Amino acid sequence: MRVAGIDVGAATAKAVVLENSRMLGSAVRPTGYDVKLAADRVMSEALEEAGLSMTADGLDYIVATGYARGSLSFADKTVTEIICHAKGAHFLIPTTRFIIDIGGQDSKAIEVDPEGDVVNFAMNDKCAAGTGRFLEVMAHVLEVESVAQMGPLALESTAPCNISSVCTVFAETEIVVLRAEGKDRRDLIAGVHRAISLRVAAMASGICVKPDAVFTGGVAKNTGVRKFLEERFGMTFLVPEEPQIIGALGAALIAQEELKRRR
Amino acid sequence: MAGYYDELLRLCGFEDSEIEEERPRIEKAFERLDISAADMDTAENWVTQHHDVSLRGVRLLLGAWLKELIDVVLAKDDGKKIVYFGFPAILGPGLMISASSKDVMVTAPDMVLSHTMGHIFNKLTPILEAGEANGLPAGHALCSLWQIKIGGTAKGMIPVPDLALASSYYCDMGSKADDLVTALFGVPIAYIDGVMDSHWGEFPDYLPERVRYLGAQINQALKKAEEVLGIEIAPDAWERSQNEARPFRENLVKLVDLMKADPVPISITELELMEALSSSSTGRGIHQGIRAMQTLIPEMEERVKAGIGVSEKGAPRVMLRAGHASDPRVTRLVEETGLAVPLTYILGSWGGVKAEPKGEYHTPGEIIAEYEMSNGYYHGTEAQIKFYERAAELMKLDGFITTYLYNCRPVATISHPQKKYLEERTGLPVLSLEIDGFDSRAYSAESLRTKVETFAHMLKSRKSKNPA
Repeated sequence: MRVAGIDVGAATAKAVVLENSRMLGSAVRPTGYDVKLAADRVMSEALEEAGLSMTADGLDYIVATGYARGSLSFADKTVTEIICHAKGAHFLIPTTRFIIDIGGQDSKAIEVDPEGDVVNFAMNDKCAAGTGRFLEVMAHVLEVESVAQMGPLALESTAPCNISSVCTVFAETEIVVLRAEGKDRRDLIAGVHRAISLRVAAMASGICVKPDAVFTGGVAKNTGVRKFLEERFGMTFLVPEEPQIIGALGAALIAQEELKRRR
Repeated sequence: MAGYYDELLRLCGFEDSEIEEERPRIEKAFERLDISAADMDTAENWVTQHHDVSLRGVRLLLGAWLKELIDVVLAKDDGKKIVYFGFPAILGPGLMISASSKDVMVTAPDMVLSHTMGHIFNKLTPILEAGEANGLPAGHALCSLWQIKIGGTAKGMIPVPDLALASSYYCDMGSKADDLVTALFGVPIAYIDGVMDSHWGEFPDYLPERVRYLGAQINQALKKAEEVLGIEIAPDAWERSQNEARPFRENLVKLVDLMKADPVPISITELELMEALSSSSTGRGIHQGIRAMQTLIPEMEERVKAGIGVSEKGAPRVMLRAGHASDPRVTRLVEETGLAVPLTYILGSWGGVKAEPKGEYHTPGEIIAEYEMSNGYYHGTEAQIKFYERAAELMKLDGFITTYLYNCRPVATISHPQKKYLEERTGLPVLSLEIDGFDSRAYSAESLRTKVETFAHMLKSRKSKNPA
């Protein structure tokens, strides 16, 4: 029984191929302009990594998630990314009860029960502050080569600056002013990370936060954001080895369940 | 001679004889509204796709709105004096004015425009943009309903009124926006200062000081209306207006009662359209609405008997705080995720917790004030939570979707505590959604779909683990 999950977001497309709950292969690539092309390519790459010389047609079941899930004709079923992230995180870490997922353009807080079912959730509204996009904009302003480099720099800070968490554009203006005032770049980067943690914490305020807490999404690779989240929430956040593909993994697991149910 | 709009009007329940009789008025009104032959395909498709026009009652409902729209647009041409009230409003003074003189038209033009130019023509954007260009700019967290009122007036679509009944009873922007209307168009205002902040735990009781103050405010507004409009408010105007409104309310209660069925027999979009007539019209819209309900009730009864509905049998049932006032796609999106929506908060007021009137008040203003206090419709947070609790019982709900506009302080401020308290008091899941209920330009369908689909999935999973 070979199944796949595909998660096509605004920034990146991810795919996971599963066989009897064992991950055979996965892939991540930028979504770009053509969503369907990105989906086809990421699926092909995941199949290639799995060592399978087949197309998506050869799979037994495919579940699509992410914003573009409705436009993928090869998917057998669509499920929201919130459900998929909960499924994927709980599969890897069965003690998961609370998940923070920060992707390119949205962030989510999810509460799950011991079975991994979603019991409460919150998502950001109308704003890029608190998402990967916020970090990308700040990396550009702060002349850091990549978002990945920002985390370690943030951890070197001794006095994080106060940066607005209300609006990405306003925060950018603040950074320019603070830079001109001679603030240490590491303190500015730390301030940016703290701003994200404030934003996410506010979003999650109505959710029951309890351990084990898991951090997923591309931004989970950023050690600085993780540190500030842990300070803000007062708990350790576990980060899966490949946090960016958790949604796709969850989708693949749901594909497996769906197939079993039908048989 | 046929008009370009005949097909659309038939789709909206107009008889051919009505079209013929009203043709000159229809054409005049449509010209003023910038509705032309080019808009007909869009409107016909929009109505067919998003409204249950297989039911004659729904077609008559759409026609009721169009008739109200035509009457609003042509009120000055018809020689009427015009009073605009805002939404949400204390309806009582408007109803009394309307019952006292057939030469005065009392209406909520913003509601009329959003429910017709939005729900029927999908052409609300130019009106919103005109509102933005005339004192309520975009990006300033200003209410789109007020943008509609000012935009419609600025474009000459709706006449400048003779009087504005300004109430910040619930909406703290209301009377300030009417100040803007005065600044722009020179309209006199009768202010009614609100007393909405009932204390936690107060409702269903209410403080006599609240009734007296609000009553005095209403009496003052009625006096101003008499002076400005040159009319006399009849001593029995309140009683007469209630007698006129009673059939509407009684029929609406029957409709809401039918929504207890599983599957839910009709989309909540149509029921909200029906209820909104009573919050917007004191004239033809109300009478036509009664006619529509008298047709719709037996049609819905047939569906209930046959087990036909717009949801699957056994689908999770949720109360939606409010459907969308101008864009039916938004409300339909909730239903398309597989949720049954038998009620909104607005409809819940008819079956909700009520206080018994004490009978201690005798001036028209105090009688209206007590009526408002006793149904707690726009009271403090806890009164609303009580409504929701009662709704959960009456409608056998599995969850709630509370909606709030980030720029509407009375609603946005309580959205998070409301979720918390409702979850604690009912044990049911609550999804809190941020959405502009009058302007769908700034909403992301995908973001909304993701949240509602996830909530639907949660409720279905919960139901399957705990079957009734």
